[in-house]
Amino acid sequence: MRESPATVLSLEKVRVAFGGRPVLADISFEVAAGEFLCVVGPSGCGKTTLIRLLAGLLAPSGGEMLFEGRPLAGTSRDRAIVFQDYSKALLPWRTVAGNIALSLEACGVAEPERSRRIGALLAKMRLESAAERYPSQLSGGMQQRVQIARCLAQQPRLLLMDEPFGALDAITRQGLQDEIARLVAEQRTTVVFITHDLEEAIYLGDRVIVLATEPGRIAERIEVGIAKPRDQLETRENPRFLEHRHRLFGMLQGR
Amino acid sequence: MRRILRGAAIPVAILLLWESGSRAGLLPMDTLSRPSDVAAAFAHALADGSIPLATWQTVQAALLGFAIAAATGVLAGVILGLSPVLERTVGPSIEALRPVPAVALTPLTLLLFGFGLRMEAAIVAFACVWPVLLVTVAAVRGIEPRLLEVAQALRLSFPSRLRKIILPAALGRVLVGLRVALSISLIVAVTVEIVMNPRGLGYGMIVASQSLKPDLMYAQLLWLGFLGWGLNAMLTRVFGRWHGAFGPGVQP
Amino acid sequence: MKRLLEASGAVLFAAGLLLLWQILAERELISPVFFPSPSRTLGELWHQVVQGLIWAPLVATGYRMFCGWALASLAGAAVGAAIGLSRAAREYLEPLLEFLRPLPASAVVPVAILFLGFSNAMTIAVIAFGAIWPVLLGSLHGFVSIEPQLADVAAALKLTRAQAFAKIAVPNALPDILAGARVGLAISLILAVVTEMQASQTGLGQNILLAQRSFRSPELYAGVVTLGIVGFAINHAIVVLERRLLRWRGAPA
Repeated sequence: MRESPATVLSLEKVRVAFGGRPVLADISFEVAAGEFLCVVGPSGCGKTTLIRLLAGLLAPSGGEMLFEGRPLAGTSRDRAIVFQDYSKALLPWRTVAGNIALSLEACGVAEPERSRRIGALLAKMRLESAAERYPSQLSGGMQQRVQIARCLAQQPRLLLMDEPFGALDAITRQGLQDEIARLVAEQRTTVVFITHDLEEAIYLGDRVIVLATEPGRIAERIEVGIAKPRDQLETRENPRFLEHRHRLFGMLQGR
Repeated sequence: MRRILRGAAIPVAILLLWESGSRAGLLPMDTLSRPSDVAAAFAHALADGSIPLATWQTVQAALLGFAIAAATGVLAGVILGLSPVLERTVGPSIEALRPVPAVALTPLTLLLFGFGLRMEAAIVAFACVWPVLLVTVAAVRGIEPRLLEVAQALRLSFPSRLRKIILPAALGRVLVGLRVALSISLIVAVTVEIVMNPRGLGYGMIVASQSLKPDLMYAQLLWLGFLGWGLNAMLTRVFGRWHGAFGPGVQP
Repeated sequence: MKRLLEASGAVLFAAGLLLLWQILAERELISPVFFPSPSRTLGELWHQVVQGLIWAPLVATGYRMFCGWALASLAGAAVGAAIGLSRAAREYLEPLLEFLRPLPASAVVPVAILFLGFSNAMTIAVIAFGAIWPVLLGSLHGFVSIEPQLADVAAALKLTRAQAFAKIAVPNALPDILAGARVGLAISLILAVVTEMQASQTGLGQNILLAQRSFRSPELYAGVVTLGIVGFAINHAIVVLERRLLRWRGAPA
């Protein structure tokens, strides 16, 4: 296995089977430091299983997974995961600030550093006005921003996102896409982003992996090759963007 | 299988420790009898008819009170449920009466009815009517308005409407209220007997304890526990798992 | 405006009933021995309050009730948590609990008297036995029904067992525990009255019993009214507590 010093994640022939039924087969790929990798595929292709594998919430039935050169086993605070169902992933009895504090408490950050970091994250995610509100009082988009803030509070080396914008309306989704692109570019965070939305994958990713279904396996990998920072209007009309889109669209529909 | 074994582990252990502890003289005999003595007392009371009679007396009062509460509660609940105005007028008075613990009314019913079946059934009825009433009101209010419009369009009389549309539509939820009331009825009946009414299993326990016959008292207690458990098990089988231990009524 | 009308309608209805009762009692159309007029009942109640006669029994009953309830709530919450979080504990204890739960709490009064005599300890023990069930079941439900996604979050953040318990399990179970405690409080009041009547202890329940024995029905009714007020007040107190502690359940945006 080729390994450059800046490889954050590498999977080799990873497979997952539930009770004899293969869910993921022969998954091999690498993610370099600072890279934004998107994984796209139709429903049921095992995307969520894959991201749970990477988070350490699930163990593979076979194959090898390395995180920063060491075997990946179990969860770690260096790998933060943003869940799709934000309402169920936030603590309803804590305020926005309180939810962000949870990560810092887990990481053992004490006061006054804790308050300082919470303040910084609230500012960065533009959540200052909602700091003392409860999740039930927030819109879907804001709740997802809170979850992202909580994950960023961990200062993770790998950010995993499981269809984070799937439940949101188009306008909110686009706003959050740009926001996350900006945030990870600033910190040079490595990201693995799962989505069923092909355009979102091409828009956000440096590389895109397409999964086929039954069992989930890698059908195609592409280098997006469009400069960043990107723009919702112009990038989506970029010839390379359209080229990728045409090519992968058929793949998603075909299988 | 493991579950059954594990579940039986603690009760069996308790019985064994209790029996051997008594025989070894480690436990005070005036307050704790041996399980074997308790079993003997139970068999004896069963044979001479005292437990069957007491059981019937308790059950009789419980069922009578429940029946009164069910009929009153459902009827009143339907009327109040159908008329929001009436419900808002009468509602607060009901809310004022509800917190009164049923047991506090025992001296009153004693004054009115004297000892016996009627006073006990009256208290049971008072305690049981609230869950039935509240659940029925909620159930009737929750009936699909279309159905009521259909009844209107067909010009059904009130008894007809009640029978053909209102009761069937509200039935599911009303049954839940009735289930709560039924499990309360046994408990309230025993409570009244413990407090003052000289009939039934509750009174039997008091007599046994005062005549220094702890084995008989324990026998009756365990029998009562078995009755309660049996009733609960039967109700669960008929009505499904009951998770609302804190439903609209209260366990007196 | 409509709400004002409705409120006055309710008040008028209640007042109307009381007025009817008053008239019937004064005209002796119903026996004043069994159904004293509201004025006599309220007069008696007023007399008791003004003369300070009400406080000793109220405090006595209240003390026993709160002690038993507090004990039951703490024990119930703790045991519920233990059972909710440990499958093994559940398997061992469930049958025993299934048998004990439907047992009428008042049935243990004779047993308690045998062991503890006619003491406050007996009363508190009986109250605790009766009031523990709703709290235990509520706590059990609260700890068993933790959102699986939150369990994932706890795993991803690598929270220790103690952290996960304190930060996630307990706040999650709190609404159910409080709901159970509210029912437990009502049960505590009832059992306090039951034990008083049995054991002739000073208290609101005993007042009613004594009044009945001397055929002093206004006192009897006054006692019942007092208990009703107490029942209402304690329920309302918990509702207020719930609203404060569970603010986060409030209206969505």
